[in-house]
Amino acid sequence: MTIAEFAADEDAPTLRIAHLYPALLNVAGDGGNVRAIQFRAHRRGIGSTVVDIGLDESPDFAAFDLVFFHGGQDVEMSVVAADLQRKSGALRDAADAGVVIFGVCAGLQLLGRRYIPSSGPAMEGAGVLDLETRGGSQRFMQHAACDVTVAGDSATVVGFENHSGLTDLGPDAAPFGTVIAGAGNNGVDGTEGARRDNVFATYLHGPVLPKNPWLTDHLLVLAVERATGAAFVPRPLDDSIEDRNHQVALDKAIANRGQRTALQPAQMGR
Amino acid sequence: MIAALAAGKAAAGASRLLRRGGGSSLPGVVARRIDPDVLTSLTVGQGIPVVAVTGSNGKTTTARFLAAFLRAEGVQVAQNSAGANLLQGLTSLAVGTASLRGRMPDAIMVAEIDEAALRLAAPEVVPRVLVVTNVFRDQLDRFGEIYAVAGVIDKVAQGLDAQAVLVVNADDPMVCDLAPQRPGRRITYGLELGHDLDRLSSAADSIRCPRCRSELEYAHVYLSHLGEYHCPSCGFSRPPLDVAVTKVEIDGLRGTRCTVRIPDGQLELSIPQAGVHIAYDAAAAVAGALALGVALDHGESALQGLRPAFGRLEVIDAGECEIVLSFAKNPTSFNTTLRTLAEAGEPRHLLVAVSNTRVDGEDFGWLWDVDFEGVVPRLVDVTVSGLRGDELATRLKYAGLDESRMTVVDELDAALNRALDETPNGERLVVLAGYTPTIQLRELMQRRGWVGRYWQT
Repeated sequence: MTIAEFAADEDAPTLRIAHLYPALLNVAGDGGNVRAIQFRAHRRGIGSTVVDIGLDESPDFAAFDLVFFHGGQDVEMSVVAADLQRKSGALRDAADAGVVIFGVCAGLQLLGRRYIPSSGPAMEGAGVLDLETRGGSQRFMQHAACDVTVAGDSATVVGFENHSGLTDLGPDAAPFGTVIAGAGNNGVDGTEGARRDNVFATYLHGPVLPKNPWLTDHLLVLAVERATGAAFVPRPLDDSIEDRNHQVALDKAIANRGQRTALQPAQMGR
Repeated sequence: MIAALAAGKAAAGASRLLRRGGGSSLPGVVARRIDPDVLTSLTVGQGIPVVAVTGSNGKTTTARFLAAFLRAEGVQVAQNSAGANLLQGLTSLAVGTASLRGRMPDAIMVAEIDEAALRLAAPEVVPRVLVVTNVFRDQLDRFGEIYAVAGVIDKVAQGLDAQAVLVVNADDPMVCDLAPQRPGRRITYGLELGHDLDRLSSAADSIRCPRCRSELEYAHVYLSHLGEYHCPSCGFSRPPLDVAVTKVEIDGLRGTRCTVRIPDGQLELSIPQAGVHIAYDAAAAVAGALALGVALDHGESALQGLRPAFGRLEVIDAGECEIVLSFAKNPTSFNTTLRTLAEAGEPRHLLVAVSNTRVDGEDFGWLWDVDFEGVVPRLVDVTVSGLRGDELATRLKYAGLDESRMTVVDELDAALNRALDETPNGERLVVLAGYTPTIQLRELMQRRGWVGRYWQT
């Protein structure tokens, strides 16, 4: 996907966005989240620049307004985990400083303390979120929905979950949402994702932001307010296309409630 | 087995009468129910050599090219041309080829096999040749990760008979490294152009060394992650090619000319289908013929009259305008098609459709890895359709398509009408769709008398 740099209107801020490991964590189209933020910022005259952060780099994440940390496959995830230690201190500092961090799937797992796969050595996470994930024997692959509250405002968020990891939250992490349909963090406790300060992490792919403009705008507000230090109320947009997308996905999630997979997956064997 | 054959053939006849799709998988279902071993009896049992073609993209076209090469040399071929590439489809092919008394003709069976079906199909047909085209990300919700797909193919490749030949696309690192310890014969094919045709993008799937997981370095990138690579860490590199495309010329949407180096000379191929991927498919087919020991004395003319398989940039005369029908199912096939179309200044008028079905999958996140941003400036008018038109509409909007140029029409027949109405006379309508909507749209076009049935192309 081509990520454009959007120029800001006069007197409007330009958001500084970090996109973590885009060449490694790219399988589920999650880059669409970055696009969605940029697009909806641009429609309000707000500019944005995206910096791709790869292996061996250790930037000061507190210098960004928004950090994206997306999902990937197991091999890429282990490469990322090995590199992450050089970034984890700066990520924790950024989280403490109120930077908006948005994690998806492997991003959620690696923002946590540890990931213990079914086989192979445990991976150290960044320790931004108080959670731990164990490899599970079953893959959750389906449309999913959860209730989310941001800044006292509640709405339903929809997406597609595709993970076998089982995540348990520690006392210092709140859930990102409460499961309406889908497995959520572990298929048991009804929590979905994790949250602290301006750090939001979820299992929902989709990509999740384009079909949940409500959530995208909340992240945008937090990022703009951090960038400018002033309150920001985004102008409403015509979201009829996104709303329909949201509704179709929600209907599918509800229809599949209680299942673990939307499709009978191919038997690839081992 | 005779009962299974009779029942299978009867099912094929009934299915054709009902126009349910050329009887491509039903006969296999019926025959297998009566005799679960019917496929093995008809192939291995009668010494019929089977060439299995598998991989994410290019299976159908590669199998068609190989069949055409073989036929040009006077070899009789049985081929699952309708893309019925699961176990039932293969069985249908064998049932349809055999006589009612269960005799197979003296033929080579060229079978494209779905990556997930390969594990079950290989033991039943014991391939003489296994051609692996590439492994791209495709339907994560069905196949899981691409490493799982590569793992299954690797297992089958390792289990091949000692005399069997493994044909691999050496430009795809993971495919190149399939069954590296296997003692049997291996034929490599790929491109050797000396210049780039593509660049690595974040949508590339497999740019890490299959042996040590370090990032590969590419001397040349030809298509997504296909190219000339080496690993700076462990030394793994693209091996010498037995079959190498040394020159590719693409002529708009009309065709591809390529020069293919083979061990004892070279072939100048002229193929009436456009795209870099066509050069790969042709090289795979040449390598397949080489694996069978069939000399391509008539190779240069074998592909000249070969029309594309249904919906592969198929040019259709729709009376007042021309339709280019193209089926795309994953980011690589979509981006490859868009690149080929861009060479011809297309698409300008577009009908685009995706649907969630058992074969098309449920998760369309991959649409965000399709380079719609690069297409939007050219688009004059877009009709969006299919069961997941809602998802496509969001994607196109965020790619920057002005909403005034996009209309969502859920129902395919109405969408086709609208798209044609919006396409001025004498101009071209590009139709890009997932597997199921492509078949449905083609059926609508067939009812209007513009094309034959899809299983007859």
